[in-house]
Amino acid sequence: MRGTFWRYGLALFCLVAAIWLWLPDPAPASGQDGDGNESLPALVGFLQNPQGQPIAVAELTLLFDEEDTSVATVESREDGLWEIALPRLPEHSVEIEIEHPHYAMDPIKLNEEQVLSLKQGESLNLGDVEMGYRYALGFWVAAITFVFVLLVIAFERMPNATAALFGVAVVFAVTSFGGNLISEDLHVFDFERALTYINWEVIFLVMGMMIVVSVIEATGLFQWLAFQAYRWSRGQPTTLVIVLVIITTLASALLDNVTTMLLMVPITLEIAIALNLPPTSLLIPEIMASNIGGISTLIGTPTNILIGAYAEISFNDFLINQTIGVILALVVMTLYVLWHYRNVYNKGEKGISPTLYAKLEENAKIKNVKVLRKSLLVFVLTIVVFAIGEGLHMVPAVTALLAATVMLVWVETDVQKMLSLVDWTTLVFFMALFMLVGSIQEVGLISTIAGFMGDVVGSNLYAGVFVIVLGVGFLSFSIANIPLAASMLPVVEYLSGNISGAAGNKILYYGLSMGAAMGGNGFLIGGETNLMTAGVAERAGYPLSFGKFAKVSVPVTILTLLVGSLWLLFRFEVLGG
Amino acid sequence: MSVILCATRGGEASIRTQQRAIELAKEREAKLVFIFVADVSFMDHFTKPRVPGMEAEMEHLGEFLLLMAKERAEKAGVEADFTVRTGDFKPALIDAAKEVEATLIVLGRPADANVTTLEYLENTLSPALKEATGSEVMVV
Repeated sequence: MRGTFWRYGLALFCLVAAIWLWLPDPAPASGQDGDGNESLPALVGFLQNPQGQPIAVAELTLLFDEEDTSVATVESREDGLWEIALPRLPEHSVEIEIEHPHYAMDPIKLNEEQVLSLKQGESLNLGDVEMGYRYALGFWVAAITFVFVLLVIAFERMPNATAALFGVAVVFAVTSFGGNLISEDLHVFDFERALTYINWEVIFLVMGMMIVVSVIEATGLFQWLAFQAYRWSRGQPTTLVIVLVIITTLASALLDNVTTMLLMVPITLEIAIALNLPPTSLLIPEIMASNIGGISTLIGTPTNILIGAYAEISFNDFLINQTIGVILALVVMTLYVLWHYRNVYNKGEKGISPTLYAKLEENAKIKNVKVLRKSLLVFVLTIVVFAIGEGLHMVPAVTALLAATVMLVWVETDVQKMLSLVDWTTLVFFMALFMLVGSIQEVGLISTIAGFMGDVVGSNLYAGVFVIVLGVGFLSFSIANIPLAASMLPVVEYLSGNISGAAGNKILYYGLSMGAAMGGNGFLIGGETNLMTAGVAERAGYPLSFGKFAKVSVPVTILTLLVGSLWLLFRFEVLGG
Repeated sequence: MSVILCATRGGEASIRTQQRAIELAKEREAKLVFIFVADVSFMDHFTKPRVPGMEAEMEHLGEFLLLMAKERAEKAGVEADFTVRTGDFKPALIDAAKEVEATLIVLGRPADANVTTLEYLENTLSPALKEATGSEVMVV
């Protein structure tokens, strides 16, 4: 009874969340947002920072005729738009004071002509109003906290979620106590404002896919596929590497990389040991295929989910614009690996004892054929809906939630088990990370970085693509790519607006996707997949050292980053789009 | 018949340990039991839902590695068996030693001449195992 309640309860929750995400934003009905003074004029304008990005929640105070008392007060919206409906007409002067914790400017004084227009009942559009940075104490608090969290994550001093939550807690504590009790300059942002930075589409998409994937991964499909790779290759290492790379790539494109590798690594180790090959000679190309393979779909990597939700890039857009680049990068990677390990692969043994073969086969058995059939059907339908969802105005999170609902009701009904398989820690990490990145966005740090990068790149598309792909790629060698991509999104948005060939086609966002994912291959510490694989290999008695990995990974990563950049330029500059 | 418990995994260093354990089993006419501890503490940094899946996969991997060791011992004419345990290495080893009534526990030296690990094996782990199980402990 309790299980049924939970099952249908969770399914209902997923459905409600899906419908909530699917519904369009409510638009105010005509005349509802006015105050009944339709005959009186209004003042409107856009607030923006020196990089032309909108400034939200600035407080605008309207003053008439050099009086000290304000006539009206409004806040700028998310898109920087502000609108003051005049409650009465001025006599001879109008002044607007604008206050924001992180931006500053002198009051706007309307000239005589503008005041006259207002007096005649004509509304005025003041256009873009630029505010300068303040760089108050809050700026430094947010910046130092963010860098500290990045370092803590890079050096694994704390779990990712704890580090991000700690960072957000510091920002809130400084804002609440310091900002209210010591100095207003310590204000970063309040809780309500912080919540607006959480991208719920990302949270629900990740949650839905976690439920879907956890059903499939428990069936033993990936272990079975790895064993089939061994059978198909007939123990021939070169063929085996190619087949493993293809399987890992496909799996990574549709599932998250850590899940893929968690399932593939142990069986790959067994195959390598059975063939008397150094396991690293199979594991390293598998790691790299896993990191590269995810680039081609919206759901392949967490960074793609972030980028897709931020820049409104659909499942099909990723597939169409990235897949060939991914294939080219994989070909380059595989050729390099085959060349690097040519002597090792030639020494491998072709056959194993019947007992070992039987054990391999046993370890790679499909655990539940019925569940596999049902879950694969749901999964394939999910992918189809991802592909056609754009036409139905259905955001990917809705598709993922609907798929999770079907899985819970039809395929795997043990809801307690399913809930325990949802990686809540990662969801909390995402929420905390969104707020933390929001804090540096709020204080103007990201705009400052964007401005600097804008100066470097100018309006040159080629420079923009190479700076984003290679720059983000090299940073991803050692910095966790999820926080990096999250903080780079507004920078890419700014650069896309500045470079004429990058505005409509989102080429720089694709560059961010490629740089973040391919860069994760650079060093052993570059991604969770790399570390998890190294952990398994070490426990099995085959340590994968930093140096051993870097010897192959660094040249491959540089080559694949170059291939990725060139593909994007070819795709958008030569083919157009 | 006395029982030798050999803690092992894969890799060249482990094969050396297995060979030495096989020699000892022949000398003492003992039964040889290989043990692999599927310790997934390296997953501590990862999130909880991934750990059970990893533990199961590590168990399969351990069985595979020990099956190879068993084949090696049987080829050398030694009666051999294996057991795969999960959790922390030391308590898992103590439990297994008591269960199989091991008279000798064989531990392998670190592969990379790691002095700290060797010191730990010889001066901390070995005496602790001896005290807890009453078995002889040898680092080979």
